[in-house]
Amino acid sequence: MSRRAVRAVTSWAAVGALAGLALTGCTAEADEGPVVVVSTNILGDVVTELVGDQADVVTLMKPNADPHSFEISAQQGAQLRAADLVVSNGLGLEEGLQQHLDAASAEDVPAVVAGDEIDVLDYAEGDAAGSPDSHFWTDPGRMLDVVDALEPALAELDGIDDEALAASASAYRGELEQLDADMEATFAAIPAERRALVTNHHVFGYLADRFDFEVVGAVIPGGTTLAAPSASDLADLVEAVEDTGVPTIFAESSSPDRLVQALADEADVRVAVVELYTESLTGPDEGAPDYLTMMRTNTERIATGLSP
Amino acid sequence: MRSLTPLTALLLTPLALGLAACSGAASPQDDAATGAATDAATGPDHGAVTGAAELAEPALGLTTIDPSGQVTHLDLLDESVTELGTVGTPSAVTTDGRYLFAQTDEGVEIVDSGAWTWDHVDHFHYYRAEPALLGAVEGEGPATVATTNQSMSGGTGVFFEGSGDAVLLDTAALSGGSVEELFRLEGEPGAGMVVPVGSLALVTEGQGAATRVVGRTAEGDETGAAAPCPDAAGTITTRVGAVVGCSDGALLASVVDGELTIESVPYPADATAPPATSFDNREGRPTVAGLAGTEGIWVLDTREREWSLLPAPAPLVHVTAVDDDDDHLLALAEDGRVLVLDGESGAVVAETAPLVADSLAAGLSPVLVADQQRAYLSGPAERVLHEIDHADGARIARSFETAAEPTWTAETGR
Repeated sequence: MSRRAVRAVTSWAAVGALAGLALTGCTAEADEGPVVVVSTNILGDVVTELVGDQADVVTLMKPNADPHSFEISAQQGAQLRAADLVVSNGLGLEEGLQQHLDAASAEDVPAVVAGDEIDVLDYAEGDAAGSPDSHFWTDPGRMLDVVDALEPALAELDGIDDEALAASASAYRGELEQLDADMEATFAAIPAERRALVTNHHVFGYLADRFDFEVVGAVIPGGTTLAAPSASDLADLVEAVEDTGVPTIFAESSSPDRLVQALADEADVRVAVVELYTESLTGPDEGAPDYLTMMRTNTERIATGLSP
Repeated sequence: MRSLTPLTALLLTPLALGLAACSGAASPQDDAATGAATDAATGPDHGAVTGAAELAEPALGLTTIDPSGQVTHLDLLDESVTELGTVGTPSAVTTDGRYLFAQTDEGVEIVDSGAWTWDHVDHFHYYRAEPALLGAVEGEGPATVATTNQSMSGGTGVFFEGSGDAVLLDTAALSGGSVEELFRLEGEPGAGMVVPVGSLALVTEGQGAATRVVGRTAEGDETGAAAPCPDAAGTITTRVGAVVGCSDGALLASVVDGELTIESVPYPADATAPPATSFDNREGRPTVAGLAGTEGIWVLDTREREWSLLPAPAPLVHVTAVDDDDDHLLALAEDGRVLVLDGESGAVVAETAPLVADSLAAGLSPVLVADQQRAYLSGPAERVLHEIDHADGARIARSFETAAEPTWTAETGR
């Protein structure tokens, strides 16, 4: 084995260079219209709804990815710095992207930062208590605030038809208002004493704030625990379930069936374990291909899970 | 007005194949990212990190090296066993929860277990990629390796006693399969440390009572920060900062607004117990523990900047802090028992039978590592890996027999 600077895995840098070659034939055409580069796929969907095909919307975060740590290529970094508008989430969400966002900002690329446009909530508990919660999109009302900031920024771009933009923005505002109203109506079926999300998802603070839920954080035992569980392993979760009386917990688990079984066997607690969509849209053939669908799917799962 | 298909659509659908010549704005593995893959082995870019799959929970495993240098990975979720390859015979092994840094005749050989956790403070993300043997960092004599809790960013420090070389490795480059040195500073032979602090580092200078630490940038330039640290020994990173043990207390280093800052946390003025010369904890947690020679247990709360000294209920060879709601400590007694201790009083809350007495009698080094729900204990002579439920009377939840002596053991996926 060679001893220094060993490359045991394919060099991604070399692959990236090849990608750059493949790109050269196409970039010139990007001059045809404004380029809007968006960090997260949730915001990418919203921007696309607003601007339609009037601009080239480039979403950096892929489906089913983690907004905190996704990485971009050098070409995408250059694209970001050359963009006509950059749209990001902010509030510290895009940790892996921040240096590129800063570089674009340093070159005076116009930017809309969603976190600057909303009423920010802080985390209430845990090691992150007091720091801003970046997951604003779980409240459609706050997404409306972001749309209100996006529309004038998009209107500034060269070659945008203001009337078409105003029409699509108006239509999408209507969709968001309808979503908000539908969520409220759907959640109204949940009895007041059951409006609790027992969860290890950490993104529902804004939804809880808007629709009057209590978020009860709970330790969800993982696979090593469930391999040979005892009652004490489940105590935290059982306490949360018994305190709230909920029939469903909303947890991300690699083995939900084992968790359900362990709760029944060790603690005689019978609950369903349901996963929600959290930080990323999915691919087109999965459950959350766009923001509105993601929100409606989560709403239905929560309402079904907590209703009598 | 647009003739090009928006790139978003290319990223979202396999239809991109027909437009491959124009889809290169992203790296080509994006073409494989249809979003459907959940299998770590087949989804080269399902997760957010190049070449890795994101998981619903940590891919915890025990990665062991036997006396012949054979590296073996036990998956604690499905209990499968995988041979990862062979390194030299190690004299010591350090881990950051993803990589194993094994000291062999080659220098410091690095094994990527392929499983790790990204700590975002408010939550965690879990990843798995292909395991790999990455090669060696060359150097003379025994090495002191210091890691952070993040296996995707910052540096990893290596100090070679034989030559006095102080090396900072690029941790992010390791994830690309490449061993790259950010700096290598020549120094005097003898004991020393390179302690990574974010993307910066502390490097020891001098020996014995005259030892001090000096801040260095990733390029090896002095940052201007420095502090005395007599008889520097032992280091660990918590989510508060990097801890360096000194004879008169600990230094706590962190990066605040891009600046390297060093705080001193002195031992209590009336302390007579020997200083801690190593520290251990549940990875990332603020509270760490170390033996005060044979006179007790030092517990350092890095958030409160506070030491406390607890009595040792029996002669101990190792101690670690779980930092759970009950502030438990775990200790390995000289007779091979694992003790669960009350973090306030040091009283024994629970204990196991002597599980690794033969290993300790033979001068081998059983590893005891604390996790949130479980602890793991290796018995090299006993050829066994125990999983212990420290919150439930030190119950042994599972035991795994190993084919060869697990001389060195690291819990990975953390």
